[in-house]
Amino acid sequence: MIAAVKGWPAAFTALLFFLPAAATAAQDLSGAAREVARKTAAFAGKGDTVSVTCRNVSSLRPAALEELRGAFEAALREAGLRTNETGGGVEARLTLSEDQSQYLLVEEARKGDDRQVWIASWKREAAATGLPARLTLDKRRVWAQDEQILDAAFTEASMLVLAPSKVTVYGRGAGSTGQWEPRQSAPLTPPRPWPRDLRGRLRITGENFQVFLPGMVCNGALDSVPSMQCHAADEPWLLESGSRGILLANFAAARNYFDGRVVTQSGLRKTAPPFYSAAAVEDQGRTFWLLATLDGRTQIVDASFEAAGTIAGWGSDIAGLDASCGSGSQVVATRATDSSEPDAVQVFAVANRAAAPLAEPVAFAGPVTALWPAGAASVLAVERDLTAGKYAAYILTVACGN
Amino acid sequence: MAGLAEWAGAETRPRYGGTLRVEVRLPGDSADPPQIGAGIADLNGSFAITQWDGGRRAVYEASETAAGGRPYLDRVEVELARPLRDQAIDLDLGKADLIELGLTELRRQPAGRKVWPSAPVRVLALVFGPRVDDARVREALSLGVDRGAIHRVLLQQQGEISGALLPQWLTGYAFLFPATADIARARTLLSGMPAAARSLTLSADDPALRPMAERIALNARDVGLTVAVGSGNADVRLTEIRIVSTDPARALTVVAAALGANPPARAVSPEALYAAEKALLEGFRVAPLFHLPDIYGVSPKVKGGPGISPLGEWRFENLWLEGGRP
Repeated sequence: MIAAVKGWPAAFTALLFFLPAAATAAQDLSGAAREVARKTAAFAGKGDTVSVTCRNVSSLRPAALEELRGAFEAALREAGLRTNETGGGVEARLTLSEDQSQYLLVEEARKGDDRQVWIASWKREAAATGLPARLTLDKRRVWAQDEQILDAAFTEASMLVLAPSKVTVYGRGAGSTGQWEPRQSAPLTPPRPWPRDLRGRLRITGENFQVFLPGMVCNGALDSVPSMQCHAADEPWLLESGSRGILLANFAAARNYFDGRVVTQSGLRKTAPPFYSAAAVEDQGRTFWLLATLDGRTQIVDASFEAAGTIAGWGSDIAGLDASCGSGSQVVATRATDSSEPDAVQVFAVANRAAAPLAEPVAFAGPVTALWPAGAASVLAVERDLTAGKYAAYILTVACGN
Repeated sequence: MAGLAEWAGAETRPRYGGTLRVEVRLPGDSADPPQIGAGIADLNGSFAITQWDGGRRAVYEASETAAGGRPYLDRVEVELARPLRDQAIDLDLGKADLIELGLTELRRQPAGRKVWPSAPVRVLALVFGPRVDDARVREALSLGVDRGAIHRVLLQQQGEISGALLPQWLTGYAFLFPATADIARARTLLSGMPAAARSLTLSADDPALRPMAERIALNARDVGLTVAVGSGNADVRLTEIRIVSTDPARALTVVAAALGANPPARAVSPEALYAAEKALLEGFRVAPLFHLPDIYGVSPKVKGGPGISPLGEWRFENLWLEGGRP
């Protein structure tokens, strides 16, 4: 490494001793502008003229420069100073900048040979991520949180959110907006560390609910005081598709996929290739299952789980719908792309074992990390915000005739 | 109507299995694998080392008990001491999945090549030894370096020109430190100074930086300094200091330690941090020149990235390979 550089550390340490005390962070751009303006006024002296130049090297919108100039000059005038573009007794050069967590307002002020630097900061706001809903696949954001959302389910009065650490029951608030408010949480204690790319499924049946997780099953009740009991088990998950398809499928406990062992609605036990997700469709009066397999294809199998075709180009999450839009059942599929890129989902019909899109794709700002059926005409999609790392759950509902 | 089938690519969900083949330039010349520093040491925790051929090759296996779950990859194999040119060939031939890219090679990469850069975390700086005791000489050389030309020609416009120790992305105020050449002022500083006092030796810690050192020697001549580029115990060293934390105060402490300066007091505001950094640069004992990123070239079959953090750390636990076996 670098050899010691002698002679200057002592002076450096002495200077650090006299560093300015912690500055209070401003609330916003205007607050920061007023903060540095006060220091400028003290530096200039009453009645002096300050020439102001501004620039923006941050990601703030260009209009922020106008807001900055307005707030800074107003604060200077309040302090009894005059401002102009050039030629003042004090030159103030303002720069809007940023680091990883906050915006900075940096002022370089000059009066003759004297030069001062002041820096005021304020926290960045989280970026908005909402996208407009499309016409034929209505997209509605229902919940967002920092922790990963594995699944969410609804009754008329409650919302349940499954996260890696807990199941939370929400109820409607008393206010006019009726916001979801947490009522109770039940922690989840996994029998072994959760696998990476954790997946989980939440089902509500009447006043009861079931949670399926890798190597663990929970049963709960939505009584006045919700309760839940969990136990380590490799019980098959109950996969639904629209209003008619049901499949029992074994989940590989230390992985992110179903191992291929299934039991059909008629009690038939079969072993299919391992798959990430499954959806049932009706084609010419017959029921077929679609399995999003690990090789990137979607395999079509008949009611006996015999291979009947393949579909290429879909992602690994699919979910079935029965939206009564004239074409029988539909399948919603994610886009085939990397899990670190923005995703999209699209609704398809399957006819003659071929898929045909029924609507334009609906875009997401981040990858879709979960896609589960949510009733006959809806699916629940969870999006991960690539910037903020948060998760948001959306209900996608097929709107017929649009 | 646009369809998902028109989007080429792999499945959305990560796949388990496979071996990631990595090549790096630096040799692991110790008997034991490194435990600290960006790169191989970052594998510890998510992976466990099973083979260490000192200086040549390392093999890591996925840890079943890794925090956050077992990595998707089964194994990471690292070839050490591979020249950059050989690494590029191996990536082209499919013999490697992840390689280092030299700054000047970036433009030679084929269109569509997946590249993972870190943030600019490598500070290139001139560090003056105790023999250069005249601050005017130090300032003159700092003012004489034509950073713009070096950035255009030798660095192929990669990274950032800077007069600050900490990069702009980390502090937001790096632009306050001047980085433009001022030949007239440098000449004024040296006027009347005897030739012996205007002669320096300059060495580059990394042989790859020697062309830059030679360019700096040419710049120095323009301001009246005689700089001989050599090796070993030189008056001035062209060296690289690494930013190791996204906490700017901690990053400055580590930089100060690398420079042999006393640790700065904990700065709790941007203003205090700026004052501490300004103090480190006063006296021109160190002249920052550039902030450069680590850059990796990546095979298209590597998914789940980027596997490189903004600080250049290896984050391979979420990587997976298209075609890996479950």
